[in-house]
Amino acid sequence: MLTVTNLTKQFHSGSGTVTAVKDISFEIPEGKFAAIIGKSGSGKSTLLGLLGALDKPTSGAILVGDDDITKLSDRDLIRYRRDRIGFVFQAYNLVPNLTALENVMLPMEFAGVGSAQRHARAIELLEQVGITADEQTRKPSRLSGGQQQRVAIARALANQPKLILADEPTGNLDSATGKLIVNLLHELARSRKTTIVAVTHDLEIARQTDLTFQLTDGQLAEQGSHRIAKSAKPDRTAEPVKVRS
Amino acid sequence: MSTVSRGVRNAFRNNIRSGGVTVILALSVGLALVMLLSLKTVQARITSVKANLGNTISISPAGFSNFSDANNALTTAQLDKVKQVPHVTKLVETLQDRLPTTGSSTPSFGRFADTGSNSTTSLTSPVKLNAGGNGGSGGGGGRVFIRGGGQLPAGFTPPVSVLGTTDPTSLSDQSITIKSGSAIDGSKDTSQALISTDMASKNNLKVGSTFQAYNATITVAGIFDSGSNGGQGNTVIFALPTIQRLSGQAGDVTSATATVDTVDNLASTTTAVQNALGSGNADVQNAQQQVTQAVQPLENIKTVSLYSLIGALVAGSVIIFLTMLMIVRERRREIGVLKAIGASNVTIAGQFVAEALTLTLAGAVVGVIGGLILSNPVLRLLVQNSTISSAGPGGGFGGGAGRGFARLLGVGGQSLQSLHAVVGYDILLYGLGAALLIAVLGSAVPAFLIAKVRPAEVMRGE
Repeated sequence: MLTVTNLTKQFHSGSGTVTAVKDISFEIPEGKFAAIIGKSGSGKSTLLGLLGALDKPTSGAILVGDDDITKLSDRDLIRYRRDRIGFVFQAYNLVPNLTALENVMLPMEFAGVGSAQRHARAIELLEQVGITADEQTRKPSRLSGGQQQRVAIARALANQPKLILADEPTGNLDSATGKLIVNLLHELARSRKTTIVAVTHDLEIARQTDLTFQLTDGQLAEQGSHRIAKSAKPDRTAEPVKVRS
Repeated sequence: MSTVSRGVRNAFRNNIRSGGVTVILALSVGLALVMLLSLKTVQARITSVKANLGNTISISPAGFSNFSDANNALTTAQLDKVKQVPHVTKLVETLQDRLPTTGSSTPSFGRFADTGSNSTTSLTSPVKLNAGGNGGSGGGGGRVFIRGGGQLPAGFTPPVSVLGTTDPTSLSDQSITIKSGSAIDGSKDTSQALISTDMASKNNLKVGSTFQAYNATITVAGIFDSGSNGGQGNTVIFALPTIQRLSGQAGDVTSATATVDTVDNLASTTTAVQNALGSGNADVQNAQQQVTQAVQPLENIKTVSLYSLIGALVAGSVIIFLTMLMIVRERRREIGVLKAIGASNVTIAGQFVAEALTLTLAGAVVGVIGGLILSNPVLRLLVQNSTISSAGPGGGFGGGAGRGFARLLGVGGQSLQSLHAVVGYDILLYGLGAALLIAVLGSAVPAFLIAKVRPAEVMRGE
């Protein structure tokens, strides 16, 4: 269970204070696939960063299970990011000079998993997301966008997290590949009871999720099921992120 | 794959940059190694020069020279004060005299010209001067001229040199080698003497044989090696009290040499000895100035080497620092990714330090090879430049430096040209240490910057 209570994030800049996330509260039950939709600049990615402990909120609480991650020490935050969550990014963010296999092994290395064990598990995960043995030995630059995103999903699953945070996971993919990736995430949520929170501007994806939250100017405009996604207008300001490999 | 191996692989992620950094670091490390070798070699030579020459004080009666007519000998009683001066560890007192032999009474030899009836000996000098006569042929030696004009007669035999000393184990500051018999005690009046192998051979003397000197019978206690020095072969060594008694110069001393504990105390001890003896009674000189002159070129090289070594290390650190700074800035997003997937600051910093270390070691290997090849040519170049500048317009070391300094040439001057850098394991370890130092210094700030990178960087768009 992911519970967010009165979450606020402000940024201070020379021109004043900007409130990116304003007093947001919601709950996502375990094993559900939730989508956060909204226009560019509505605070979606900031919210995702806060859920992933990449940034600290100005106020409010984020309960993952029984732990309030806003109160964790730096060392515990590292452990939280390593063991309890998995990230999937729009730009894949694979380490360019490592092979697909090595990229998947990386979080397990940080978690202290033995070499043989992490090698076997990485192969298993890559096979599960449809990466062939040949593709496993390739560096990201020699994989297609869809393949890279599959590798990124395998990497996110490496330490068997209970929460996967995906930032525009299909943003750089064509619609057919995007659909495959979404199906893959759905399958994960069902089979592993993994909670998935995906930020997206793709309403088609949002329609397929269990829960949808719409953000407007940092505030939760609406939350519920498919109705929101059906009534929401497509975000024409969203641009695909340039992928670096 | 471990943090270290990831760092090593990252070092070669951009081959052009890695190659460039390696070459520049190689120049830096090579220069540092060359300078370190020069520094060590020169320092060893300075230590050697100081150890060999630097810690003795010469004491002689005021205005005294070997051929001087005017002097008043020092006395053993006066020199006892020198023994009390702090830092004086040894005092060797000597009394010089000459014993005329057949043909040596003419011409005159300064104060020893008229040596009186006491100064006679049954010995014949093994040295023959002007052996070839006036323009004569054969025999060697050639024509020898004497001070004040004139010329020695053909086949002239010089007087026998007599040395009374408290240290009969050395002659002219050099240890003697006893070939047969035994040494004598320099502090006891025993009517015994040491003669050279040449003298023994010339006069058919063996250990236990006797000869006449100062109207007394002297026993040969030992025979020492004449060596290649003709003057040494013509010398008879007595204990100081013996020669003082036989020559009727009780208590007199013509020269003394004080040894000081370290060269660092030489100047102050020289002043103290001068004060103890009184400035009008004795000339007190030390080798300090001579040593200073002798090691000046070495000191110049040492200074150049030291500053160049520091400069090379700083340059290497700056190069690796700027490189790592550039790499860290370039990979902020990647650092954010690593943090987002659970890497600690220590792990990421370790990876970057390993990368810096790899680049530095690659540079160090090339630099060490280059440094080993270039160390001696560079050292020669430094010596050449240093000796030229030290010689100045006066024309080299010999110019006006005097007799003592001429002796130093063998150690501090000509030997400079033979300075040779020797590479030991310690130098290679220093090289490795320098590479480590460069890597650690150069990656310390980038490591700090890594810690400052927020994991949220990863959420930033390109």
